[in-house]
Formats: sequence, C-alpha cells, structure tokens
Amino acid sequence: MHNFEFVKPSTIADAAAALAGDEAQALSGGQTLLPTMKQRLAAPDTLVSLTGIPEMQGVCIGDDGAVCVGGATTHATVAAEAAASFPGLAGLASQIGDPMVRNRGTVGGSLANNDPAACYPAGALGTGATIVTNSREIAADDYFQGMFATALEEGEIITEVRFPVPEASSYQKFLQPASRFALTAVFVAKYADGVRVAVTGASEEGVFRWTEAEEALSANFSADAVDGLSVAADGMIADLHASKEYRAHLVKVMTKRAVEAAS
Amino acid sequence: MSVAKPLPHDAARLHVTGTARYIDDIPVPAGCLHLAFGLSPVARGRLTHVDLAAVRAAPGVALVLTAADLVRPADCSPSAHDEPLLAEDEVHYAGQPIFLVAADSHLAARKAAALAQIDISPLPAILSISDALAANSRFEDGPRIYGRGDPDAELATAEIVTEGEIEIGGQEHFYLESQAALALPQEGGDMIVHSSSQHPTEIQHKVADALGVPMHGVRVEVRRMGGGFGGKESQGNALAIACAVVAQMTDRPAKMRYDRDDDFTITGKRHDFRIAYKVGHDAQGKISALVFEQFCRCGWSMDLSLPVADRAMLHADNAYWLEHVRITSHRLKTNTQSATAFRGFGGPQGMVGIERVLDHVAHVVGRDGTAVRKCNFYGAPADRSDQGALPPGGAAASPQSISAKAIYNGTRTPYGMEVTDFILDDLVARLESSSAYAERRQAVAAFNAQNAVIKKGLALSPVKFGISFTLTHLNQAGALVHVYQDGSIHLNHGGTEMGQGLFQKVAQVAASRFGVGLEAVKITATDTAKVPNTSATAASSGSDLNGMAVRAACDTIRDRIAVFLAERTQSDPTDIVFADGMVRVGGLEMPFAQAAKEAWMGRVSLSATGFYKTPDIVWDRIRGTGRPFYYFAYGAAVTEVAIDTLTGENRILRADILHDAGASLNPALDIGQVEGGYVQGAGWLTMEELVWDQTGRLRTHAPSTYKIPAASDTPDIFNVSLYDTPNAADTIYRSKAVGEPPLMLGISALLALSDACAACGPCYPALDAPATPERILAAVARARGALP
Ligand SMILES: Cc1cc2nc3c(=O)[nH]c(=O)nc-3n(C[C@H](O)[C@H](O)[C@H](O)COP(=O)(O)OP(=O)(O)OC[C@H]3O[C@@H](n4cnc5c(N)ncnc54)[C@H](O)[C@@H]3O)c2cc1C
Repeated sequence: MHNFEFVKPSTIADAAAALAGDEAQALSGGQTLLPTMKQRLAAPDTLVSLTGIPEMQGVCIGDDGAVCVGGATTHATVAAEAAASFPGLAGLASQIGDPMVRNRGTVGGSLANNDPAACYPAGALGTGATIVTNSREIAADDYFQGMFATALEEGEIITEVRFPVPEASSYQKFLQPASRFALTAVFVAKYADGVRVAVTGASEEGVFRWTEAEEALSANFSADAVDGLSVAADGMIADLHASKEYRAHLVKVMTKRAVEAAS
Repeated sequence: MSVAKPLPHDAARLHVTGTARYIDDIPVPAGCLHLAFGLSPVARGRLTHVDLAAVRAAPGVALVLTAADLVRPADCSPSAHDEPLLAEDEVHYAGQPIFLVAADSHLAARKAAALAQIDISPLPAILSISDALAANSRFEDGPRIYGRGDPDAELATAEIVTEGEIEIGGQEHFYLESQAALALPQEGGDMIVHSSSQHPTEIQHKVADALGVPMHGVRVEVRRMGGGFGGKESQGNALAIACAVVAQMTDRPAKMRYDRDDDFTITGKRHDFRIAYKVGHDAQGKISALVFEQFCRCGWSMDLSLPVADRAMLHADNAYWLEHVRITSHRLKTNTQSATAFRGFGGPQGMVGIERVLDHVAHVVGRDGTAVRKCNFYGAPADRSDQGALPPGGAAASPQSISAKAIYNGTRTPYGMEVTDFILDDLVARLESSSAYAERRQAVAAFNAQNAVIKKGLALSPVKFGISFTLTHLNQAGALVHVYQDGSIHLNHGGTEMGQGLFQKVAQVAASRFGVGLEAVKITATDTAKVPNTSATAASSGSDLNGMAVRAACDTIRDRIAVFLAERTQSDPTDIVFADGMVRVGGLEMPFAQAAKEAWMGRVSLSATGFYKTPDIVWDRIRGTGRPFYYFAYGAAVTEVAIDTLTGENRILRADILHDAGASLNPALDIGQVEGGYVQGAGWLTMEELVWDQTGRLRTHAPSTYKIPAASDTPDIFNVSLYDTPNAADTIYRSKAVGEPPLMLGISALLALSDACAACGPCYPALDAPATPERILAAVARARGALP
C-alpha cells in the first residue's frame, strides 16, 4: 500500500469538497478498497472517509413508502433494520460475505464498486431503486453500466438509496463457497405493476434484468411460469468456479427459487 | 498406566491460549535477514534476461541471489537431485523460484522481489495428463505394472464386463502454519536450523550438502508444526536451504516463511489421477478379473512421486480379492508444481479407483453396494448359490467343490502379501448394525420415491490400509531418554509433532514404562543432535516406530535400576515393578524419584538410547512383490448425503464410522485423527478444487478461491467409534497407526453422492472428484441418460 492522506468529514458537502481534490477517493467500509490498495491496484493520495456523516447512516421509510438506506449504512444494519419493512432486502444484506464484511461494508460502497458478483446491484436493479447522490438522482436502470462500471461521475457520492418496497420479494444466492460472493444470484420483486427479476454473478455485462422472466412472471407469479424459458450461455461468465452453461442454468433455478420463496 | 487413556493433546492448553511456539514465534537475534523468492510467472521457458537491479536497489535489501551466485549447487530434492534451489537456465513451472532476496524485513523482501524484470522465452508447456501422454513425458522409462493371473483371458470369458474412468483431483495441504525456516549461524561455520518439517534429518542432510559441510555441522530442531499432512515431508527443504545459504554467506541469521499465496504457488500438492478400469464380474457383482490403468500427474520434478504412485497401486485392491488383476501405473511429468506426499501417499487415489469399480459394478448388477463389497472381501465365502460354503481347508472337499473355482475368496494381495489380519467382516457387520444401514437404505429409497428435486444417497465403504514405509530401510527409529536424579524424565525421539498428538502418545508410553505420571515426562523438540538418522514422520508410522524406540530406551534404564536395586535386596531383578509412581523389588518399595536418586548415587547410568526396526518386511518395488507392510489398519464409514438435483448443491447429513486403531494408545487423540481424516478426505473428494489456467498458472491460491471444509462442514450427526481390538501384530501396546487410514473413510461421501445421483435415472452417473455442484449436476444428467 502506498501512503495517503486521510480525512473524515462530517457533512456531505465537506466530503464532496474533499473529493474534488486531485487523486482523492471515497472510503466507506473499506472492504473492497483497502484490499485493492494493498495490492497496489489503487493508490489514491487522499482517502475521504464517508463513515462520519450522520446523514448517510441508517434505514428509514420515505414519504412514498420506499425503504431509504443511507449510503454509508452497513450490510448488518440493513439486515437488522429493514427486516420488518422489507424482508427481501434484509435477507439480501444478511447473506453478504461474513460478519466482518457485513459489519464494515456498506451499500454505497457496494453499488459504487458494482462487482459483477455482488449482491446489492441485484437488489437495486430488482427493485428499480433510486440511487441518490450529492448532485442528482439516478434510476437503477440507468445506473449499472457493465462490470465495475456505473453512471457515477468522478467524486460523486452515493448518499442514499431508495428501494420501493414490493408486495413480495426474495433474493436467492448460490454461494461460491470460498469467497462467499454470488456464483449466481437472483432478486425477484413483485409490484402491483409487474415483476422485476435481476441477476448478478452470471453475466460478463454485470447485473442484468431477465426481461422474459419478468414478463412471464408478471402474467403469472408462479415458479412454473418460467419453465418454458431458458437463458443462453453466451455472454455468461466462465471462470475457475463455473462454466457459462452452469451459470446460465443457475439463473433459471435461482429465479424459480426466488419466486417460490417470495410467494 | 497412562497408555490407553483419553488424555488431551500435550500442547492443547498452549494451542488455545496462543502460546504454543511455531517458527515464526521464535524471537530472532539482532540482524536477522528475511527471505523471499522471486517466482516464475510462466510454466515453461528459457530464462533469457534476468534484471535484478531494481531488486538490489530496493530499501532494506541486503543480498539478492540467482543460481549463478551460489557458491555450490543447492539441490532441494528428496533424492533425485533434480530440484535446484533456484532455476538455472530453464523454468519448469509457474511458481518456480528464480531468485532469492534477503532483506531486513519480510515485507521489504517481498516488495523487492516484485521489482524484478525477467524475460523468459516460453516453451510449449506440458500441463495435463493428456499433454504428458501425447509427449510421452514421464518418470521412469515406461509404466510400472503389477499384477497376477491372466486378467485378459478372464475378461474375455467374463459374464459381464464393465468399463469406465474416473478423474480424481489433487488437494492442497492447507496446513494452518505455512512453510517456515530459521537458520542461525554458529562458530566455525556450523549451522542451527529451525524448520517446520516432518523430516528434520532430510533438512540436515540437504542443508549440509548445500553448505558443503558434513552432517555434523548442521543441527535441526523442530518443536512442532502447525499441520503437515505430508506437505512438510520434502517441501520445507527449499526454505531451510535458502536460509542456511544466506546465513553462511552473510554470517547473519536468516528466516523465511511463505506467504499463503506463495505457499500455494510454489509447493506440491496431492497428485491428481485419472484411473481407467475394465472389470469382469458375474450377475452378483463378484469380480473375476480387473484391469486398472492409473495415470498420475507428478509435476516437474520427481520428488516422492514414485513411491506415491507405487502406493496407489498397492491400494488398488483395498479390501477385495482380485484373482486376476493388472495395474498399470503411468508417472507423468508435467510443468506444474511437483506433486508430493499427502496423507495416504497415493493410497487414497488407488482406493478411490477400486471403490469406484465396486460402485459401478453394483449399479450394473442392481445390487446394494455393501452386499457387492462383502462378496468380494478377502476370504469371504464365494457367493455361489449352487453350493454351501465350506470353511477354508476344512471338511473334505466334495468332488464338485474341487472342480469349482473357489469356495472362499483368496487372501493374498495382488503383490503377494498374505492378508492375515482381516477384520472387516466383523467390523462392517458392527457398523451396519450401529448405523442402521439396512433400515436407512430403505428410508433413503422411500425418500427418493417421494421427492423429485432433493435426492438422498447412502454408501458404506471400507478401508484396508498398509502400514509401513514401502522403502523398507525407512522403517527404523531412535529415541533418547534421560532420567534425572529427581526422577524427572527427558524424552526425545525422531518423530515430529504436527498437531496429530504423537508426542503425547509417546510420552504416555514412557510414563507407562516407568510407572509414573505424565507430569514426570518432559516432551522435547525433535533434534538431529539427540537422535540421528531419523525417517520422516510419515506413512502413519510415528507412534509405531518411535513408541517402540522409546520403550526400548526406557526399558534399558529400567533394567539398570532393577539390577542395582535387586542387588541391594538380594532379589531377582526381573521381579521389579514400576507402577503408581513407586518402584517395588524384593520387599523394598520407594518412590520412583528416590530410586532414580539412589541409582545415580550408585553410579548407574540413567540415560539411554533406544532403537527399533520393523520386523518381517521385504519389498521389491520393481517386480511388485513381497510383504511391504507389517500389518493393515482397517475402518469403515457410512455416509448419508442429500443433493439438490437442480443445482448439484449437496450436504453430508450423517456419517457413522468404526475405525480400527488396535488397542488405542489414546482414544481421544485417535478419535480426533479419525474425525479430522474423514473430513479432510471428504473435503478432497467434494469441495476442494484446484484449478490451473490454460497457461499452467494455479488460479486457486488462497482461501478466497480454494475452499477447505471447516468445522461447520462436519456432518450434524457424526458418530465415530474405535474398533477396540488389539493389533495382531506386535506393535507398541498392540496399537495401530491412525494418521492416514481415516482419510480414506471420506471416500464414502463421494460414493453416497454417486448413489444420490444414481437415484435420478437408470444410467450410471460416473461422478468425478471433486464432486462439486457442477459435476454433480452433470452426473445427474448422465444418470438420466441426458449426457454421454
Ligand atoms: C471476504 C469478502 C466477502 C464478500 N462477500 C460479498 C458478498 O457475498 N456479496 C457482496 O455483494 N459483496 C461481498 N463482498 C464485498 C463487500 O460487500 C464490499 O466490499 C462492500 O460492499 C463494499 O463496500 P465498502 O463500504 O466496504 O466500500 P469501500 O471498499 O470503502 O469502497 C469501494 C468503492 O466504492 C467507492 N465508494 C464507497 N462508498 C461510496 C459512496 N458512498 N459513494 C461513492 N463511492 C463510494 C470507493 O471509493 C471504492 O471505489 C465481500 C467482500 C469480502 C472482503
């Protein structure tokens, strides 16, 4: 790890100002960034900690009923505090990594990083969440732009994420047992106006919506509804843990499981 | 007597309080250098340019060495002299050390190593078994072949011929303490080496060789390892030699420990195998002929691959009578880490091969796997419904039975050793009953009939494992015992402690010989200056060999005390009794400590060496005949699993084990070994997967990519018992070796998974190992006939 400066502002404005500096980078739970720095794949001059900003902490219910999670809220906090209002989301948070990762890692860090095997991208895309930053609001459908790529500008801070609460939902994750990331996982959410299905861990393009399944499930919210569908192996990730074909197969199985668990 | 007591590990308290000292905990003298290797990124190539200027200039760096800088060639191999410490002109695997950095800290050395500029012109790398076969890249001139009878002729006339092939993955040792060594230069060029090694004598030998000094100039000490599993039999040589060479050149202490990724990348693992089989059998599943072809991926250097591959051949029978058999073993040389010893030393791979055959045969004939296994057991009544079974050599044979082939299965292994201690009939029967095997077989069938998605599987598999080093001369051990004038005892022997509890078991032997409590016995570090010319603590032989050597040393001292005290009481020294902390002879009774003191004052030597060599073993590894083993250790396991047929996810639901440790020296430690062995064996065959990429780089080199079973992966129901019966062979207190054999109980987990897959359709699932979810899913598809 290279040397760096460290600042810990207490307001979003101060954080944004600090991030405007050259080679400054936001630090939240550090569960991704610190290992990256240790491997010297990242070498910011200044780390701007987001964990001392009260506005970015905690879970609340918005006026429209959405569950609003502060950008620097840990997975463990979401697992505990959203359990009653949005059990599907709390379930997702509770399956992330191990206790250390859950008690340090944050929703903002997860979404900013957009790891192709991360859980929150499926939660955000699967609910049509709104990613609120210090300068704007971004719809989940516009936010994810491929593996590790997002709509965030340089220095932009995720301050909050608003998750519309579905009638029913479930996150089903097939664990890669060594790292505990998702080998393939699916978030299914049923809303009055239709069903959303978001898949993580599987595609080379990162998180995606399985639209055919969404249509089928919107018409008939039962696991059998996707029986006739299949996911092409093309474009799926093939790596040391699984083949493309296996991942494509898991997309459907996990979707059905999620529907069963949700309904 | 302290033997047979379930005492805790002698260092248990130190382990759990974090005060047990490993190499990295030893305070080092001032000026200690810390070493790191620079590794080859390519699997095979010619070194064209090695620019280490930036490495030399890096902060804290004291010395940088390439092969050319060594004063004399330093070889790290256990015997074949084919492993230079640093690559010479060619690199042979991705991960091979090319240069060595010595710096003032571990981190400085590692950072500096990363600065090298190395140009390698790549050569075509031989990575897989198929690559090696195509290139005829092998150790020894051709395959080794053991066997007997005429399997080809028998196959031609067999009622049924079944054929198949299984891939068996390798396994990373994943000892918690990575490899480590510390060299301390002494006056006059002598060297003291602390090494995390199962084989201190080999470290001494190799270090002396590299330093150009006689073995007496090097003393190696090993107090304990944080796990070994065979991975520290030869793989510690490189670190110890590197430290000693640097210490000699600089006259400064030198220490090296591998970072976990480096440990994965540099060191050898369990050999992966492909085993093809062709078996002739009848409709009952009784085998008449069997042909095995074992393909063993050895890696770039020979290391211990020949005896490993031999042992795979020697366990190709497991518990079964194979009248007509041929086992062909190909030892393939590849540009990968040099595969090495791993708990079972090839035996497990050979045993998976034959268990796979039994599984396949049982499927073909549609009988319960256990029934088919039993009818093939050594000495089992031949399963012929047309005639009653007669005891062997018993009642006068009727004319039909003379003409009939055999009424009982034979008892001679394919390598000509008579199996005289076979206890599996009784052991398996007891396990079947204690595990309710028959009832559960029905319950599993009933469950499977009702459940389309989740399928259960159940399997019983036996273990018969040969005990002794197959290299006969290694079956020797020495001990050194001192009794001090206060009656306290200093115990030393050539075995090493790697967490398995050897030191405690041997201390129990010493305490029992002197009739004192264990608190009187001081366990001391293995030390080549106390006991010379030792064998590796390997082949499960630790307590067999060292227990006997310690007994001999203790008895020498006892006899001297006996003669001395008997003289004083005018009694027969053989009447002396050492028990309960007291010594009794001819009406005289005194505490052991007083006897020691009086013996000392009477100028009796209270120090003795002990020596033991295993009797009765002979072995010709080229012809494949003899008696390589002093005896066999047995065991059996029943495993029940469930699989999800949509994903291949799986769980071990329950395991029942009955294992033969003879008359156990310490049932608590032995059960610990059995539990750990089962879990490690099941981990090997289910979840532990090594993956190399197309270029030969190992991609699974950390716990984030390579998963070993953890405590939470042990089955919820885990019933482990010892088959408490004295060893028929005359071993220490009639106990049996217990280090390796239980690993092979884990084979039942693979077989249970196969059984669950087989419940999905009519075809044989041909499940490969490790049985990861993806492989299980493929096996389910094969069972359904949906995949070839
Ligand atoms: C062992 C292990 C297991 C894991 N398992 C899982 C898993 O199962 N599922 C899963 O989803 N994840 C998993 N993770 C990843 C973990 O959830 C992420 O590391 C975490 O969510 C990232 O959040 P963080 O707060 O630690 O971010 P940091 O590491 O602090 O930052 C990550 C990146 O996001 C940026 N950033 C951080 N916060 C913000 C913000 N508010 N606005 C803009 N940019 C920001 C940083 O600049 C950096 O580029 C695992 C990680 C580990 C180490």
